[in-house]
Amino acid sequence: MMDQARKQRFRYRFGMLGGSLNGMMLAARRGQAVIVTVFVFLALMWLNAGLSPYPLNYFDISFLASGGATTAIAAAGQSLVILSGGFDLSAGAVVSLVNAVLATSMDPAQEEASVLLWTLIGIGIGACVGAVNGFFVAVMRLQPIVVTLAVMFIVQGITLLVMASPGGFVSPSLGMAYLGDVIPGLLPAPVVLLLVVAVLWLWLKRTSFGVTLYAVGSDSEAAGTTGLHTKAVTFATYVLAGGLYGLAGVFVSAQTGAGDPLVGNSLLLPTFAAVVIGGTRLGGGKGGIVGPLFGAYVLMIVVNLLLSLNVSAYYSTIAESAVLMIAVLMGSLSRDSVLSKRLRDLKAGLGARRAGQLAGQRAREDRRLTFTAPGEDVPPSSFLQRHGPTLRHVLPSYICLLFVIIVSQVVLSNVFGNQRYWDSLLVLSSFLAILALGQGAVILTGGLDLSLPWCIALSGVMLTGLVGGQDIGLWIAIPIVLLVATTIGVLNGLGVVALGLSPIVVTLAMNGFLQGAALIWSDGSPAGFAPPSLRWLMTSKVMGFTPVTLFMVVFVAFAILLLNRTKFGRQVYAVGNSELAARLSGVPVGRVIVSVYVLSALCAALVGILLAGFSGQASLGMGDDYLLPSIAVVVVGGALITGGRGHYVGMLGGALLLTAMQMLLAGTSLPSAFRAVFFGVLILAAVVAIKE
Amino acid sequence: MLNLSYKGAVCAAAVALYSAVPTPGHAQEEPYDIYLSMSYSGNDWQAEASNMIKALAASSDYADKANLEVQVAGPNTQRQIQQINAMVQAGADAIVVYPISPTALNNVVRSACARGVEIIAYDGEITEPCAYNVTINQSEAGRKTAEWLVDQLDGEGDIILVNGVPGTSVDTARTQAAKEVFAQHDGINVIGEADGMWSQAVARTELNKLMSTRDWSDVDGLWMQVGCYTANAMQLESGIAPEDVAPCAGEGSNGGRIQMLPLGTEVDGAELPYAPFGAPRISYAAPPYSGAMAFKLAVDILEGKEVDKRTELPLPLITNETVQLCETGSWDEQKAGCNVFNPSLVSNPGWFASIFSEELPQLGLDAALEGQPEN
Repeated sequence: MMDQARKQRFRYRFGMLGGSLNGMMLAARRGQAVIVTVFVFLALMWLNAGLSPYPLNYFDISFLASGGATTAIAAAGQSLVILSGGFDLSAGAVVSLVNAVLATSMDPAQEEASVLLWTLIGIGIGACVGAVNGFFVAVMRLQPIVVTLAVMFIVQGITLLVMASPGGFVSPSLGMAYLGDVIPGLLPAPVVLLLVVAVLWLWLKRTSFGVTLYAVGSDSEAAGTTGLHTKAVTFATYVLAGGLYGLAGVFVSAQTGAGDPLVGNSLLLPTFAAVVIGGTRLGGGKGGIVGPLFGAYVLMIVVNLLLSLNVSAYYSTIAESAVLMIAVLMGSLSRDSVLSKRLRDLKAGLGARRAGQLAGQRAREDRRLTFTAPGEDVPPSSFLQRHGPTLRHVLPSYICLLFVIIVSQVVLSNVFGNQRYWDSLLVLSSFLAILALGQGAVILTGGLDLSLPWCIALSGVMLTGLVGGQDIGLWIAIPIVLLVATTIGVLNGLGVVALGLSPIVVTLAMNGFLQGAALIWSDGSPAGFAPPSLRWLMTSKVMGFTPVTLFMVVFVAFAILLLNRTKFGRQVYAVGNSELAARLSGVPVGRVIVSVYVLSALCAALVGILLAGFSGQASLGMGDDYLLPSIAVVVVGGALITGGRGHYVGMLGGALLLTAMQMLLAGTSLPSAFRAVFFGVLILAAVVAIKE
Repeated sequence: MLNLSYKGAVCAAAVALYSAVPTPGHAQEEPYDIYLSMSYSGNDWQAEASNMIKALAASSDYADKANLEVQVAGPNTQRQIQQINAMVQAGADAIVVYPISPTALNNVVRSACARGVEIIAYDGEITEPCAYNVTINQSEAGRKTAEWLVDQLDGEGDIILVNGVPGTSVDTARTQAAKEVFAQHDGINVIGEADGMWSQAVARTELNKLMSTRDWSDVDGLWMQVGCYTANAMQLESGIAPEDVAPCAGEGSNGGRIQMLPLGTEVDGAELPYAPFGAPRISYAAPPYSGAMAFKLAVDILEGKEVDKRTELPLPLITNETVQLCETGSWDEQKAGCNVFNPSLVSNPGWFASIFSEELPQLGLDAALEGQPEN
């Protein structure tokens, strides 16, 4: 009793001091990632200034500030969505749209357009797009990644309708306001803009909106049952994020003084990189937007650094990826981080082995508990009982597929009875179907593989380079390519398991490493051909069908067996449903996760090989068009992006559906802008239909 | 001593930084610092262009005059803006740019010009008036090739268009000009259109989609920015005899030009579809030597020579009448009129063959392939 009371008094007296000290420690721990980002940024700045032949002056700093601002503002928006546990692929497209709208609707005769008005218009456009995203995510409860992917296509199409090619006019008053100085010689305007964003965020974070946002991101269900307005907050998050992309679009317009309908499209991956460098956790609930603001500048200053260090052009993506990895690793480094845990585990494991205490070192004898035999009179469950839930997620993609094919028949005629149509559908969807196995397995465990594009390209380029155009060369080339892919997969998996980094970071960085590797290997221009047998497989006709279709039958059978009839398959689902439960049940979680990344890399390599056969040669950009579709087919096929649920048959349906939709649109005489809009609408319609 | 020279450097730097007026013309002992900011879109064109620039910079005519440093901006405009700015900071005398966007670079280019740095863009254009542009007339390319196709078809036929990257000014100019020509001929029907993204691989995928509900016998002609090589290869695969392939306008690739050579021409390392079969074709492409030309102009400008703000390169249009095989690919040989290279030398059919420039005798086939100058 006495003790309690003394403690209380003590707390009362020193509470303020102790509290604030504790608070500061806590804040420092919480903000470790942000602090590290700032530190990395300052270190890079210092290094850059040291390497530069001229002293850094105000002009340079001002220019650097404006150079990174667009990515920074867009990354702030992306960060909000990611905090809520979502994912926004429409960010870059919105930036382009706002730029196009401003550049086409500003009056060239009016030099002094109102900065406030046009800024609000830009933010408004972005917020509207965000509202569409928010509606489908929060109200319709669709998966953010597909919704924003569909919206991305729609917005890109609309942008091309607004502005077909670069041009237009953005009033110089906008440039003056956003690129000028608030205090000449001391404070550039972009810095103030970012400060305003940061201060607004720090205020927002403390409101009930901010608290709910973190709660939703940490555990949406728990937040809902606690009585928080999860729907409204999720919706508002997308609207706010959209507004920030809009602001980024206004900034680009000010910065460039004109319009370009493609200007924002390449911003998407850098915003993700900025967000993760800034310490915001993918999956939600942790982080903020101050870190990502600095993250964007880290990415920018690396460009300067590469120049100062005279890094060869081919190595630039490698250097950037290395910075990404290092920054994220440093941000997460602590005693509790996965890396230090793994190191401790390893040490403990080695110690146990030396002491002979490791479970695996015990004598091998059957220690299983004896269960009573199951009752013999249990009636076998009906087909529907056994497969009902699977069918519910798998069938919709096929129903949509049937619908699209019927529409194709009506619009294009000559579909049902046309063997060539079916052959084309099967051949063109084979690439996505193969990728769907790898990407699907990764997504089933709750991960994501962004290294596919350059894994495909590197495999294709290596294959054509190694075979020398001869069939005999395949015997050497294919094993080498598959071996390289296995290594890529193992490294991806180790990055996730051993370093404990988010799969997106690891695979995004890997994509950069592979891009560099492909460029160095091919010296910028891939040589060689696919050998005749590979070309035969992909382009010849046997009884009206391309031989690869037969290969696909075998592949699909293998994929279904692998995911549903093997121990490995069951372990994949177990890990996806709950990593902890799986671990406690004796599933070697780490090994399973590494294996799915290996599977994914092998599938990508196979696609690279087949694509080389399809085109007759390899090209460096050949994987670029397959990343987002590979994710889309998995989700459209009924899989959950957070893992644990999905069936390969559904993903196959997704691949067929997406390809059929593309073929339908290609067959129409619609301009490409409309095609993009329709494609987006169709994807949205498909996921809504699947949901119902 | 050391201190003094350091101070000198700083002074020189300060002068370079703050003098708004460029000081070209005066004889300079140090070589010029010329930077190259290229994009990288994943096709062979960029690699060739960069090889040719490197070759020119390494040639005996230029090795002592200029130092070249190459950086890649990828497809990201923001990065290119930052890169150009970093180059200005690093003390560039001139910057050669492959502009990712014709408009987005205007402000950074303007500020670079204000600091006395010359900006020379190749292939794509920069609309900022202080920049120099080296380019071809894209509209004329679209028009000329469309007119050729109409002539081939005698003004009547069903055709397929495969465009480039939608939303770029090059694609818009070419496609609009071509469509205007087709619209003037009632007999010409565009029965299918796709975005080929200037890639043989994408062209094949798109053509596959287009042809899934059609037969090649329904197609009388093709107008493509890249992909005639692939289109004809697909026709051969579907069983059409080499002498019956549809006329195709477009494609400056070596593979396409080899196909244009008359059937039976002796060619080293040929194998169908990378083989001569007299394919009816007009071949054009933006010439990859435009980057090297921009580098040459950069040196000219720095040396004080008079250079036009806009340099229009001659349109490299090759038809079946003018296509001619090179033996070695040297500049002299190309000057004599040859314009396509043996597959044994150029193993990649997608490689761009328009590498000859009257004004750049330093650059032959080796320059484009390996970055090796002629002298």
